[in-house]
Amino acid sequence: MTIFLASLGFGLVTASVLAIAAVGFTLQFGVTDVLNLAYGAVMIAAAFIAYVVNQAGLSIWVGLVAAGAAGALGSVLLNAGVYTPFQRRGASPITMVIVSLGMTLIIEFGTQAIAGGTSVSYSMGQGPTVSAGGLVLSAVQFVVIGLSVLVMAGTHVLLRYTRLGKAMRATAANRNLARNCGIRTARVITLTWAITGALCGLAGVVFAMDAGSFDATSTDLFLIMILAAAFLGGPGQAYGAMLGALIIGLATEISAAYITPSYKYVIAFVALLAMLGMRPSGLLGERTG
Amino acid sequence: MKFPVLLLAAAVVAGAGLTACSTSSSTTGTTTPGAAASGAPNGSALVIADVAPFSGPDAALGPTYLASCYGATSAINAAGGVLGHPLTCKSVDTRGDPADAVPAVNQMFASTSGLSLVIGCTSDEAASVVPVINAHKMAMFCMTGQSEFDNVHYPYFYRLVPPDLEESYAMVAIAQQLHYKRIALAFGNDIGSQTFIQPAISALAKAGMTLATNQTLDLHATTFRTEATAIIASHPDAIMTEALGSADPTLFQEIKQLNGGKMIPVIGTSAAISPAFFKSAAAAVGATEFTANFHADNLVTETSGPAYQAFSTALLSQQGKVPGASGDFTTYLSAPGGVHLYDGINLAALAMIKAKSTDPSVYGPDIIAIGNSAPGAKVCYSFAACAAALKSGSASRYEGPGGPTSFDSFHDSTGIFQVDTYSPSGQVNVVGNLAASQLRALSG
Repeated sequence: MTIFLASLGFGLVTASVLAIAAVGFTLQFGVTDVLNLAYGAVMIAAAFIAYVVNQAGLSIWVGLVAAGAAGALGSVLLNAGVYTPFQRRGASPITMVIVSLGMTLIIEFGTQAIAGGTSVSYSMGQGPTVSAGGLVLSAVQFVVIGLSVLVMAGTHVLLRYTRLGKAMRATAANRNLARNCGIRTARVITLTWAITGALCGLAGVVFAMDAGSFDATSTDLFLIMILAAAFLGGPGQAYGAMLGALIIGLATEISAAYITPSYKYVIAFVALLAMLGMRPSGLLGERTG
Repeated sequence: MKFPVLLLAAAVVAGAGLTACSTSSSTTGTTTPGAAASGAPNGSALVIADVAPFSGPDAALGPTYLASCYGATSAINAAGGVLGHPLTCKSVDTRGDPADAVPAVNQMFASTSGLSLVIGCTSDEAASVVPVINAHKMAMFCMTGQSEFDNVHYPYFYRLVPPDLEESYAMVAIAQQLHYKRIALAFGNDIGSQTFIQPAISALAKAGMTLATNQTLDLHATTFRTEATAIIASHPDAIMTEALGSADPTLFQEIKQLNGGKMIPVIGTSAAISPAFFKSAAAAVGATEFTANFHADNLVTETSGPAYQAFSTALLSQQGKVPGASGDFTTYLSAPGGVHLYDGINLAALAMIKAKSTDPSVYGPDIIAIGNSAPGAKVCYSFAACAAALKSGSASRYEGPGGPTSFDSFHDSTGIFQVDTYSPSGQVNVVGNLAASQLRALSG
């Protein structure tokens, strides 16, 4: 029971970090139709922006805000400077995937060239630790979980109760129809890049805080977990991504507690494949056929 | 919103392949095109290639070796160079992965004029690149302790570091000195780290200690909470570890969190003696907490005397000039790669002068001649002094900050070990020595 509680706590932290990243990723994909594999690279670049702010003597929480802003700006520029021109020329979805892979390498190795290849850590305390049963969480981890809940609630409010959110949903469902209904889809898409970019930046810092130490390539494996969470929930489905993140986060940590930790990703992805085998469109995705 | 499953699969596979497919290299200094190793035109630069990880989990190793290269070549160039040639350094990034290392080395041979020596070749990539470099008839000083090089003869391979199994024994000997009884192992899943495990397990048994748990750390994972929990649950007195990059600092932080705010004592390998490692670990758990709980084995190096004076002057003159070097630069004075590759470069440069050739197949035997030398040969402690002695025709023996060398028939010259700690400011302290008899007692 102690081991289970401990791994449940770890799983919640992992799921929280993953949820922030996966919701941003899946919203971005759903509204813009770009499977942006450079998402992980933007995350880590934003984490380094926060590191620079932190090294300048400011709190990491200031760095978090700076990283969110940098993620938003970077993502808007990435779309305007790279993806939109390709889309305008009629690039196919697979071409866009290759383009985003190229951008991943450019951003990741660009970050590495500037920041160096060695790992770095934020100057921050973990705060007091709370233990209950086998569950052990630090104050920072509680903040990460809280931040994730806040992001999920914010996303829910945005999509359900705001004009922008409704426009985003309409654009995601059918861009041409939305445009014919008077929605300025180009503007919606730009705002989507900004919002999801901010989430990406936020996720980068939270990821780095959770990992404790990070380098320019740290999100390589994490990107695959983001993809897994997003597609498990149903591509483009924000609520699905939340659910997917929770399942993947808990599955990796709980399986690690009972089997050797080396297999924790294997177990998570076997579960993912099994679930996609039964529901190819994801848990909350639209049924086809 | 529908997306073909095939596209998803392609994306995931492509994403997963990112790490494996990326290679990069960069050049420091200037090289003169057209200069061949065997017959380099007068005045053209001779290139020393640092083939090592500059990115990935072991990224701290490349800059450590590059610092020694910059230091050695600056001193050699200040003394007039080698046979009228200045020396420059080039970095070749292997990413610590054999799959990236082989193409990087092939590219190095295809694109580097005046290449005269290779340094680096760590355990991460040595098994795959040493045969390639040897096939190109290029001399190399490698920082690998892999035992497969103990008994296989590569004519162009030289090594100034002991086999990894001896380093495993050294870690166990440190645990003995500190009176630890239960030991947890936590090594990275890279080749270079995994090689320590079996010798460590057998040495622990020989020493009468208990193996509390053996955890393998995936260097690409972002948390090790489960591994940390398992280690804490096994109640070890100390953890022996080598998981470079962000892995060890993350593990230390998570152990501290899950262990009521206390670190468990750690015994690291000599690879942990680097400014980058100290910076990451100290940031993860706090410098005071880290230094109070950390010991590492390290090869014995001199900390005073004429050889050390020449070495420290040369190395410290390059502070702020070495790409990728971060943290307290003086740590490189104790880093095994920093010291022994400095010696390796000096030995090779002196061999070139003695052989009157920059061709490795010609000057190679003279590395042994200068390193071992004949009885009665005059000992010299710097490139400048040894080069002057060679030019005057007297028999000389180079003895650098890594101590005297004694190459065997496989070109291995292994040193003895000391015990290092850090001070909270990041300086390295030598707190003990390990006698050869102690290591022999732990060997299989």
